[in-house]
Amino acid sequence: MRWRVTDRMVRLLTATPSRALMDEQIVLKGHYLPCNSPVTFRARMRCENGNLWESMSHYHTDENGDVDLTRDSSMGGSYIGCEPMGLFWSLQPARGQEEGLRLRKKNVDTPYTVHVTMLEGHILLRDSSEDEEMIGKQELATVTVQRWYKAPGVQRIEICQNQVVGTLFLPPGPGPFPGVLDLWGIGGGLVEYRAALFASRGLASLALAYFNHKDIPGPRNHFTVGDSYFKAAWRVLQDHPQVCGNRMAIIGLSFGVFIALRMAMYPSVSPKCVVCINGPLGVYNSLANEDRLTCDTGKKLWGVNQQGYLSFWEASLPSNFPPANIVQIEKLECPLLYIVGEDDLSCASMVNADEIEKRLLAVGKSHLFTRVSYPGAGHLIEPPYTPCARTSLWAKRPTKLFTQWGGKLAEHAAAQEDSWQRILGFLECNLRGEQRTQSFSTKEPNQHIVPKHLDTLFN
Amino acid sequence: MDWWLFVKVCPQKMAGERPCPLLSVHPSRCLVDEKFEVLCQHLLPALQVTLHALLHSDEGDYWEAFGHYLSDAAGSVRVSEDASLGGSYSGVEPMGLLWSMRPIPGSKPGLRLRKKDVFKPTDVYISLYEGHLNEGFKDKRPLASVVAQRWYTAPGVQRVEVREKGLKGTLFIPPGPGPFPALLDLWGGGGGLVEFRSALLASRGYVSLSLQYIGLMGADGKPHNVGSDYFEAAFSLLKQHPQVCPDRVAMMGLSFGVSVTLGMAAYSSVIKPKCVVCVSGSHVMPVNGSLADVFDEIKKNVKNTRYDEEQRIIWRDLLLPIPDDPSKKVEMGRIKCPVLLIVGEDDQNWPASESAEDMKQMMEQAGNSHLLTILSYPETGHLIEPPYSPHFRASNFMLSETRNKVVVLWGGHTVPHSRAQEDSWHKTLAFLEQHLYSSATVAPGSNH
Repeated sequence: MRWRVTDRMVRLLTATPSRALMDEQIVLKGHYLPCNSPVTFRARMRCENGNLWESMSHYHTDENGDVDLTRDSSMGGSYIGCEPMGLFWSLQPARGQEEGLRLRKKNVDTPYTVHVTMLEGHILLRDSSEDEEMIGKQELATVTVQRWYKAPGVQRIEICQNQVVGTLFLPPGPGPFPGVLDLWGIGGGLVEYRAALFASRGLASLALAYFNHKDIPGPRNHFTVGDSYFKAAWRVLQDHPQVCGNRMAIIGLSFGVFIALRMAMYPSVSPKCVVCINGPLGVYNSLANEDRLTCDTGKKLWGVNQQGYLSFWEASLPSNFPPANIVQIEKLECPLLYIVGEDDLSCASMVNADEIEKRLLAVGKSHLFTRVSYPGAGHLIEPPYTPCARTSLWAKRPTKLFTQWGGKLAEHAAAQEDSWQRILGFLECNLRGEQRTQSFSTKEPNQHIVPKHLDTLFN
Repeated sequence: MDWWLFVKVCPQKMAGERPCPLLSVHPSRCLVDEKFEVLCQHLLPALQVTLHALLHSDEGDYWEAFGHYLSDAAGSVRVSEDASLGGSYSGVEPMGLLWSMRPIPGSKPGLRLRKKDVFKPTDVYISLYEGHLNEGFKDKRPLASVVAQRWYTAPGVQRVEVREKGLKGTLFIPPGPGPFPALLDLWGGGGGLVEFRSALLASRGYVSLSLQYIGLMGADGKPHNVGSDYFEAAFSLLKQHPQVCPDRVAMMGLSFGVSVTLGMAAYSSVIKPKCVVCVSGSHVMPVNGSLADVFDEIKKNVKNTRYDEEQRIIWRDLLLPIPDDPSKKVEMGRIKCPVLLIVGEDDQNWPASESAEDMKQMMEQAGNSHLLTILSYPETGHLIEPPYSPHFRASNFMLSETRNKVVVLWGGHTVPHSRAQEDSWHKTLAFLEQHLYSSATVAPGSNH
């Protein structure tokens, strides 16, 4: 349906703020549109690899000709319902892009630049890429927003000392700051963006490489570091003049959970709290010695499952861990927040959470344990307002291999938003508040969290 | 982002445990006319603290502001809700850390804060100190610091230099396909090319042309005074721009720019603005004259120049008394578009209040006063600029012809002037939106 015009129209689209941190909401509004008329919002951006990502949603203007994404509901497109940040977390690779993409920022010194456009009528993504010229005529207005992982004044410092490889992010100001050791999974390399965001929230954060990184000696795809490496990493953070050595935490995602829990048990490391996201409390392979975490016994941490995906599932089942390879969680002396994605297809997170809880209960330490569990969320529960990758490309050679992460788009987005707030609150309370050992939450542990807007789906 | 709601109010720290305060500003990046929230947490309760803001200007000067606070029972200070007990501002002032800024002790006198490079942001360093301090900030270690980054341009705004048809100006274009409404933006007798207001207007959805019209050199290398055709060419350039809606072009002037704006709106057959905004100016000028004639007329009254107790120049009397002779002022009855007049009642540079009153009477007599809106602000000076920029009662000024440096009194007192800047900017944006964006009448077409 085209609009009939009596004079040349001018439409106003606003985004506030136009430069935001990744975990901040951006308020999108359209004005001076025809009233009670269909309008489409589209977001487009190019990631660092040059791939095009896009999303679209369908709205109706109100009787004043306004549309407000913090108030109005999308009735179709990439998401439905009232979702102020829906355009950002529902971004998907455009047609014709490579397979198996996952959105990850490598360079945190630059923002994501997203172009948000208002178009006449209700347009589908399918139409959009087929007839760019025609769609172009329906464009009403565009704004450009920048989304940053790093706040102004945050310093990024590459660490390569005492053989420890990582990146330290320091908040602006003299400090000293509480510190967070930030661990990712078996994909290896060095993932900086969550640490950059922590520093933007006032926490010094060291993103640590420990596997499959060019600056870590030894063959790739083999563990060549062990306990002494992680202890050294802890000291790097603790000894930094701008870090409060007695206010430190560890956060781990995926295999990083095993490292985080293992580290928390070292006598020389006393974190004030630990955050675990979807990871195991033990490991498959037998452990070698202080200097190498595992040795290659022929049993790999991954295999190919029946659907042809690379899978870590078997290796993440507690029943498969040799007893000596299970972290002695009974020795835990600080609060532990465990975040579970119930649709995690990569790691048996729920089973691991159950096992941790059982062991803590057995020694009277269940008050240290808080579990938050999200239906429909997958493995990669990351900072909010970024899209969920249900599967992604793991390796190109010798053949293309994909892996499954799980997660349903809307539920996963809600989990990321809710869990990030909980993680920040948990860290703030344990690192800046009174030094206490109670669980930070007044709720009962093992809370099964259903994000608010999905209530109706479950009732 | 209110993650702090998940932090339970943590009980009193153990004795001897050093607190680890958190200072945050939200948003950390925004446009200069947007507000921010400054929050301190995890302090001891009832602690005396000072919040200090510091910026380094494009000219290399340092400006600062500070407020004294007392943390509450939870150990927090929230600037938007708590009262400053003293400093460069007092009371509940969410943006006091910006608008009450002044040059740091030891700075050169007569400084003025103006952004030159509109694509480079200004980083404001906000620091939290223990105690109620009034000086010596750079020698003390703060408890915490954050950076609030402020921009004159939104992402995607383009800047285009205009050097055609004899014009000298800078065009700012919002992102997107357009079409957009547009503005011709004129500053005052100081001359030069002032871009920051146009950059901000483009960030708000207007194609805006900042035009230099004083201090231009002719082809012969001598100073050249422009005539009406210069402004008409600028207005036409805007109308003809492919991304501009030709029937939605307005004019905005400050100080001398008001004389030009009103003159063109009343007498030009080419310039038909959709609306005009006139800040701190006057309609008193010889009509049917060139810009040079207007300057000469003003110079005839130079004997009316006064000086204050600090020998700062007061020029407001050069146009007083407001003449009765119609050939000496713009015939306001000829104006056919809405007019927004913004006036500071303590303007020491132009007789803006008296002129506004006279304009109102002229329009009432002519029967077009329904087009007029006057915003008159007590204790407000001449330079009414976009909000949260610091106020200065006087500053250094270079006379464009002789290049002599003098100190000019602009007037105004900090608190009321800052309120006037904030209020008038929002009303200006609302006025522009009302007349340039919203008056379309469109019905959705039906083909079913």
